[in-house]
Amino acid sequence: MNLNYTEEQELLRDSISKFCSSDYDFETRMKAVNSESGQDKELWKMFAELGWLAVPFAEEFGGFGGDEVDLSVVFEEFGKAIVVEPYLANIVLGGGVLRRADFAESASYIEKLVSGEVQISLANYESQKGYVLGNIDTELNGEGLLNGSKSTVLNAPNADHFIVFTKKGDGYSFALVDKNAEGLTLSGYKTYDGFTSGDLVFSNCKPVAVFEENNALEVLEEVIREAIVCICSEAIGAMEKSYFLTVEYTKQREQFGSSLSKFQVLQHRMVDMFMETEYAKSFLLKVLATDDKDEKAKLTYGLKNQVARAGKLIGEEAVQLHGGMGVTQEMSIGHYLKRLVSIANVFGSADFYLKKYSES
Amino acid sequence: MDLNFSKEDQDFQSEVREFLDKEYPKHIKAKMDNGDDLTRDEVVEWHKVVAKKGWMGHSWPVEYGGTGWDATKRYIYLRELALEGCPMFIPFGLQMVAPVIYTFGSQEQKDKFLPRILNFDDWWCQGYSEPGSGSDLASLKTKAVRDGDHYVINGQKTWTTLGQHADWIFVLVRTSDTGKKQEGITFILVDMKTPGVEVKPIITIDGDHEVNEVWFDNVRVPAENVVGEEGQGWTYAKFLLFHERSSIAGAPQMRRAINSLTKRAEKIFHDEKPLAEDPLFISKVAQFHLDLDALEMTELRGLAAEREGKGPGPESSLLKIKGTELQQRLTTLALEATGHEALPYGGPYGFENQEVMAPKAAQSVASKYLNFRKVTIYGGTNEIQKNIIAKAVLGL
Repeated sequence: MNLNYTEEQELLRDSISKFCSSDYDFETRMKAVNSESGQDKELWKMFAELGWLAVPFAEEFGGFGGDEVDLSVVFEEFGKAIVVEPYLANIVLGGGVLRRADFAESASYIEKLVSGEVQISLANYESQKGYVLGNIDTELNGEGLLNGSKSTVLNAPNADHFIVFTKKGDGYSFALVDKNAEGLTLSGYKTYDGFTSGDLVFSNCKPVAVFEENNALEVLEEVIREAIVCICSEAIGAMEKSYFLTVEYTKQREQFGSSLSKFQVLQHRMVDMFMETEYAKSFLLKVLATDDKDEKAKLTYGLKNQVARAGKLIGEEAVQLHGGMGVTQEMSIGHYLKRLVSIANVFGSADFYLKKYSES
Repeated sequence: MDLNFSKEDQDFQSEVREFLDKEYPKHIKAKMDNGDDLTRDEVVEWHKVVAKKGWMGHSWPVEYGGTGWDATKRYIYLRELALEGCPMFIPFGLQMVAPVIYTFGSQEQKDKFLPRILNFDDWWCQGYSEPGSGSDLASLKTKAVRDGDHYVINGQKTWTTLGQHADWIFVLVRTSDTGKKQEGITFILVDMKTPGVEVKPIITIDGDHEVNEVWFDNVRVPAENVVGEEGQGWTYAKFLLFHERSSIAGAPQMRRAINSLTKRAEKIFHDEKPLAEDPLFISKVAQFHLDLDALEMTELRGLAAEREGKGPGPESSLLKIKGTELQQRLTTLALEATGHEALPYGGPYGFENQEVMAPKAAQSVASKYLNFRKVTIYGGTNEIQKNIIAKAVLGL
């Protein structure tokens, strides 16, 4: 048994951690959040130069050949600074399909993704259709035209291309659609956790390519599972930072002639926050260290449930222990809560994954 | 024991329903049902409708223009309003400063302020908390110094709800630094238009502007605006806090909200079946309803005690704790049910005027969840409420 990260992984963690503490303070983050695109394009270039965008791609595509553990390391560090740059959208979701798909042009798109030249979003969820991945209405018709809609497409307003999960005949496919394609309408918006997202409507829209005609659902399921591991790692980073900030705050906040941290009832609450973070970490390690595909899938569903519950508890307690200051926009702690409850609910709720866990 | 209303009470219930049917302004109802925010004018309009009917002073004694209703009638009245989805009364004048004025104030203060509160001519707000004095309210530092017929106030208050709309503020100020910190606190009424009063917005995590900082820079206030005696403010403040706590349980509003969520869940799909048929969801809703039953019954017990002349005491902390916990459970349940549809956000950095695909009802769910984080903090944190129960009820 070995539960250690490799030396390369520790180096990766250090470099991201250093970046987050020296170049991505709360003010920088909020500047990105409040900008029209919701991201800092200069930072994205820097991510590319540092090689972070290459982490999960094979070396033949200019990547690092990293795996899920490497991604988990990246996201855990991002979570500590609640980074909003579109890594999940491009590298894990859009790039995740390209990495796995049997698609001749994957290599050229991946190269541009890794160099930061293009941004690619995955469009699979639809409004009022829930989280069963095959439950969609969007369809590619016999003439090769796309009709339907997709909702909450992460980073949609900044995407150059969309990978659209669609029905085709009796099965599913991915359709690659350019942002300027005729018959595509985009509505962009910010989301409550500070990210940028959008809705897409396709009306006889012609994709530039259609691929993975036999296996699209399986590919999508794998991509979403990997994304779950990533956002759960991010949540764990955010939880760790949340209890840390809370401990610090209660040490310096004085009421009734003593610091809040001296009150035993509050100490116990912070101990609970710490414990829940550690248990979530343990669950994550179990997922990362499991090789069997079916077992790993089941555990990933379990992780989503565990992290949803722990994240919500820790985020809410952190705000409560900060008192009135905790609910202000100017303090970072409330923004951790927003990201944690968003992570708890995207791709399906704790209950949804509890059921999947028990059914797997 | 009997939980049924008497014939008289049932008639009264019909009267309230008839009033709402006829007088509750349709445009306000439409906005409320839609979950939209009201403008200041609309809030005032609603209060004036109630004032015209003579029902504003539902908890006041008759001699000050109150309805003189017993606890049951008051309960029926507030419940019907809540079930109809009416806007909450702005409590700062009606339920907070007014009882202090008619209990401890001078005749001049009663004559000057109470009729205007009853008619909602003045919008009141609260100047209690300070940046360094939250749970430990008695450590407040805002200073008032006597200068002839006036007091001169300097300092800063915070978390003043809807202070941006207010005409008057009731303020706890320090008039003496000697003795215990609870001594030397004075309760004073300040016209918001007085030179030196400045309101600065605080934006909360839901993106809303509801609370404010209120700054006092050499604000001169006539000495006749002190309520009761100088240095006795802490007694009045505690009296007021008990009133505040018993009015924020909000059971009928929650009943209405859980029913509307359950209805909405018939059309929400997480997997193949509608959420309303999901056993996990059903169990949470059932659990919520029965906890709400217990809360409502506890509220009724409080009202019954009040009818027997026992004013609200530390027991109101019970209602505050459970009521706010249930409010948060409700907004959490709504957020979980709504899932990714709750993501689009129309807050200050949302893209203006963009069409969003998510259903209308989904769009305010996240803001509401975030907004309701405050309820276990304001009016005395729930931790402080537990301290009060431990000390005053359990004798610990």
